[in-house]
Amino acid sequence: MTMETTPEPSGSGTAGKIRRAADGISNTLNVIGTIMIVGLVILVNADVIGRNAFLAPVSGVPEIVSMSIVAIVFLQVSQAFRMGRFTRTDALLDAVARRSKRVRNAMEFVYVIAAFVLIWLLFSASVPLFEKSWQRQSYVGTVGDFTFPDWPVKLVILIGCAALLMQLAISGAVALWGIIHPAEDDGAGQ
Amino acid sequence: MTSFEIGLATLGAMMVLVYAGLWVPIALMLCSYVGVWMIKGSPLLAGKLLALAASETISSYFFGVVPLFVLMGFLVSVSGLGRDAYDVANQLFRRVKGGLGVSTVAANAIFAAITGISIASAAVFTRIAVPEMVRHGYTGKFSVGVVAGSSVLGMLIPPSLLLILYGLLTEQSVGDLFLAGVLPGILLAIVFAGGVISMAYFWPSFIGENLSEDTEHDMGSAEMAKKGLPILALILLVLGGIYAGVFTPIEAGAVGCLGAIIIGLFRRTLTLSNFWEVLTDTGLVTASVCFLIIAAQMYSRMLALSGVPQEFGVFVATADIGFWGVIIAYVVLLIVMGTILDSSSIMLIMVPLMLPVIQPLGVDLVWFGIVTVIAVEIGLLTPPFGISVFVIKSTLDDESISLGEIFRGAAPFALMMVVVLLAVLVYPPLTTALIQ
Repeated sequence: MTMETTPEPSGSGTAGKIRRAADGISNTLNVIGTIMIVGLVILVNADVIGRNAFLAPVSGVPEIVSMSIVAIVFLQVSQAFRMGRFTRTDALLDAVARRSKRVRNAMEFVYVIAAFVLIWLLFSASVPLFEKSWQRQSYVGTVGDFTFPDWPVKLVILIGCAALLMQLAISGAVALWGIIHPAEDDGAGQ
Repeated sequence: MTSFEIGLATLGAMMVLVYAGLWVPIALMLCSYVGVWMIKGSPLLAGKLLALAASETISSYFFGVVPLFVLMGFLVSVSGLGRDAYDVANQLFRRVKGGLGVSTVAANAIFAAITGISIASAAVFTRIAVPEMVRHGYTGKFSVGVVAGSSVLGMLIPPSLLLILYGLLTEQSVGDLFLAGVLPGILLAIVFAGGVISMAYFWPSFIGENLSEDTEHDMGSAEMAKKGLPILALILLVLGGIYAGVFTPIEAGAVGCLGAIIIGLFRRTLTLSNFWEVLTDTGLVTASVCFLIIAAQMYSRMLALSGVPQEFGVFVATADIGFWGVIIAYVVLLIVMGTILDSSSIMLIMVPLMLPVIQPLGVDLVWFGIVTVIAVEIGLLTPPFGISVFVIKSTLDDESISLGEIFRGAAPFALMMVVVLLAVLVYPPLTTALIQ
């Protein structure tokens, strides 16, 4: 597993601006997801305390928790990718990088394209799911106790995938740049 | 190609892709997409499978608590409870040869009872225990090795995230699984402690030639109580609450978070900035683990379509390798996979594959769960992919200890785990004795 983050955006050119804007989006989504985790802690405790101390359980906790986790994951997924938290084995990649940075970047470029295509497929197949739940106004929970529409979660899946596509595109551009100019990330004097 | 052959081919392709360095979740998604496309002949259907798995897999109350258990682990570490556990253990084992090593094991065992993830223990004790041991003459190799080894106790002694995951996959009671982990966990801690003491006597070149004992921190009983009580209170809150039926094991993560926050605020170790830092980290860990779970779910749906698990079951049933043949092959496969994958991925790939095979054999699924967790955790300590070891390397300030040295230091502990695994295999009551 690697813990390397993509390098911080530098320079004031257009590329740098795009990078900063994209990272800003990922950061914002990450913050929203993080706040939702605090919400979960409060919610579950309110239910436990309410149920035991006041015989007043909070309605719909299982439904809210199971919807929030999907939202939390997709809100944070682009940031997790950017921070290098996607599990991978880097033994071969490191060995290749020692011989040629250019080949390493080329491999990375191929991997990024594969990931981009797959996430795009996931995105486009998720659109109909969102439309269906929006049109039918489907909900989770039990009528009379607690109901909540399920389209917001489907929307968050789309947002999360889009943000991940954006970060993948940036990684692809960085890798491509590394193929063309391998010397620049070789470090000084190599 | 028959769908069975396609299923097998994707298994092979996945191993190659993972070794080649493609992100594990992407490799899983790629194999599932291509697999379904080839089996059903429809890319549209394959895309649909991806989308359904993404929105359905983790949308359950059980997965909802993953971030809470991760957060609890991080919170108890920033609240300074790990440090306290270590100090108390030091005081107790200071007269023993190799005492600081034994203390590390003991403190990890205590810490394991309030956290459910190995990486939390590994990170905490790398910071606290390694510098202390190195200062008292222990080799760097041994110091990091004992931390890596004893960090796996976090997954075995309840609460444990891996056992929750296993309970989900096999529909076993999480409470029973937690109880089943207690004795093997304690046994493992005792074996580790015994191993450290014997190494101190018989293998000084590994552990360190001139071990000195910790004399500067002599605590009176009042200070011991002050350091020990908060931890004890949190353990009682979490485990007591589960078994008294006040809350479910699933809710224990949230209650534990609240407990750790209160203790942290009370002791003024928890500040707004480290609370936020811990929260963000929790989010990233959750996202990467759950995304992996989603991808693994896509993969197991594709495998089910291909019929590989069923054929595999028939093969095992007719190949006449018998019960032990199946179990031993499974354990070896888990350990081998543990060298390249992290524990939750292995469990998510292997358990659904094995379930239809072992259920007809009349295997106790609780016992099987503990066997699975120990075998998977051995993989955490073995190169080239040992997640505990990577966490230690990234938390360690000391550049002089290389990744290879951490793996070498952890090797004796991996061997001791194999011994405990054999004990659990041969003597199943170790796991089931506490369950009435």
